[in-house]
Amino acid sequence: MDRYSRQIRVAGIGTAGQQRLRDAAVLLVGCGALGTHAADALTRAGVGRLWLVDRDVVEWSNLQRQVLFTEADARAGLPKAVAAAARLREVNAAVEVAAHVADCSLAFLDALPAPPDLLLDGTDNFATRYLLNDWCARERRPWIYAGAVGSEAAAMVVPVGGPCLRCLWPEPPAQSDVGNCETAGILAPAIAAVSAFQVAEALKLLVGAEPTRGVFTCDVWRGSYQTLALARRPAAGCPTCSGTGYPALSAPPASAVTLCGRDAVQVDPPQRHPVDLDQLARRLGPVVQKLDRTPHLLRFEVDGCRFSVFPGGRALLFGVQDPLRARALYDRWIGLP
Amino acid sequence: MIHLDHAATSFPKPAAVLAAMRRWFDEVGVSADRGDGERCLLARREVDATRGRVAALCGVPAHRVAFTSGATEALNLVLRALLRPGDTVLTTAFEHSSVVRPLVALRGERRLRLEVLPPAADGGLPVDAFAAALATHRPRLAVFTHASNVTGAGLDAAAFCDRARRAGCTTVLDASQTAGLLDLRVGADVVVASGHKALHGPPGIGFVAARDGLELPPQKQGGTGSSRALDEHPTTWPQAFEAGTPNTPAIFGLGAALAWVQQQSPAALLAQSLRHVDALATGLAARPGVRLLLPPRERRVPVLSLVHEHYDPSELGALFAAAGIQVRTGFHCAPWLHAHLGTERTGTVRLSPGPQLTAADLAAVLAAC
Repeated sequence: MDRYSRQIRVAGIGTAGQQRLRDAAVLLVGCGALGTHAADALTRAGVGRLWLVDRDVVEWSNLQRQVLFTEADARAGLPKAVAAAARLREVNAAVEVAAHVADCSLAFLDALPAPPDLLLDGTDNFATRYLLNDWCARERRPWIYAGAVGSEAAAMVVPVGGPCLRCLWPEPPAQSDVGNCETAGILAPAIAAVSAFQVAEALKLLVGAEPTRGVFTCDVWRGSYQTLALARRPAAGCPTCSGTGYPALSAPPASAVTLCGRDAVQVDPPQRHPVDLDQLARRLGPVVQKLDRTPHLLRFEVDGCRFSVFPGGRALLFGVQDPLRARALYDRWIGLP
Repeated sequence: MIHLDHAATSFPKPAAVLAAMRRWFDEVGVSADRGDGERCLLARREVDATRGRVAALCGVPAHRVAFTSGATEALNLVLRALLRPGDTVLTTAFEHSSVVRPLVALRGERRLRLEVLPPAADGGLPVDAFAAALATHRPRLAVFTHASNVTGAGLDAAAFCDRARRAGCTTVLDASQTAGLLDLRVGADVVVASGHKALHGPPGIGFVAARDGLELPPQKQGGTGSSRALDEHPTTWPQAFEAGTPNTPAIFGLGAALAWVQQQSPAALLAQSLRHVDALATGLAARPGVRLLLPPRERRVPVLSLVHEHYDPSELGALFAAAGIQVRTGFHCAPWLHAHLGTERTGTVRLSPGPQLTAADLAAVLAAC
């Protein structure tokens, strides 16, 4: 316990709190910027079991903000969960770290040995967030939403019983409406700021303290940090909080299949969703190469992959064979809800 | 939904096929030759009738027809039964993976020599080239598809079998693309096919039809419902090739499908489907950038492959899919042919209509790309 002496001394933690941390299991969904910040902090704080899930590999452009990774990881193209777990075991060998190179799908969550005590959002897409939202409601587990883009970030504790993400926004926003790190960029301190809120709330929940109610938002460029008040009760008619249905748990997952004999993967969103290819072209224009809008489809190249996107949301990704990698690239660049 | 993928599997199936399968589940529920009850007799009657229809289709005695899970199993069993170490095998560049892969595996296991007949400049497989290959390589066995599932090019199976027989070479005809469309009584030593393509049967059923007298020892051992006291698998046909519980509901379905095909007449089904291919070819040939991979007209089957100057086949496939049209893109499990077509990098878009396509369907297909 000596390594935690400074933490134990904090009112609200104490020896009992430290013991609770040691007994806890936390699932970190996504090992990107948010995920690596939280994983590092929770490992140092002495959380007993930390489960990491991420489907992507370490890339050069990650090193600017994803704190657990090194140039060697990027050169080797290691799976993020694997590279993060290796680093975390060096940080604190007493923490049981499990790395899952997988999609955080309903099947994945349901196959966990037991529901974790807490889930932390380190994803880059709303489809997964709504899945976490509904799954946690069904399993009666808290989770903490967090997201960042540009110099702005937001986070919110979703306690057992709500209010939940669906109370705020009944349907996931389209990724093209909210922007992402690829198109709008991301400033590392925005991650650090929102991660501080997320990890502090995580520690509070794990030791049994009352979490902060409200939505934390910040813009580190403008120097503004605030917590917006939120209704304490779930929104009327929220299917998730009322338990009348968990929409994200009944939606079919996106499918990704490797094309026979081709260095290509076809990704189909769970539901056909009209995609405004012209708008997508405008958004991606500044950051991708070889943008080509034909009467039927939109093509572009990015991350070593050639995309062909169709109006119904289907995409062909050439230069990729791994369906997981294709799903990650799809969510990153097209990102339908 | 417009189904232009009959070369993969036919859709929709005739109502009689589903009714026959349904009858097995509702009224029969048991295998033929597995018991002596009334329902076993019902099963036996239907299985025997289906076997008889396959026999008539291929021109072999009924006891030389064995049911398999499909053409793939049939080809694996037949090639394993016929090929001996050191054999030379003549085959063609048209072949499907269900021929190619067993041959390649057996080449390793039994030191086979494989000779592959390339297509002629017109995309066909002329008898003369086959005869020349027989003379040059002296194969003990020739295995060939009746028609390419990529281009629709057919070969003169009767002439192939005749030349092979005169050269002392055993013939195996893969009729998966032609059963239900062409006459299979071409003098092959063995005919195999799947039931779910132009025969309009259900998936999960195919057959081996062998000339009387050809030795085909069992390659799979198990229960047969006969010779129960013996611990050795019977070598008598068809039990030799039918180890394990048969797929009786699919046999019921295939029986109804064969009756339907005979009633419609294979020649009429072929002519209808080819008319649709011609209409598609005419319409698509007018599109800038489209290259049709047309076979010789003679003996062709209703398959049309194309590539596009500006669109990858998978992109065109997605465009068709968005318009509710089921086509197939890629290599179509024919690994050897694409090098000859110049499509080895991307494969093709394949449109394979069935007999039922309407004028509205055709218009929708041409509007989709």
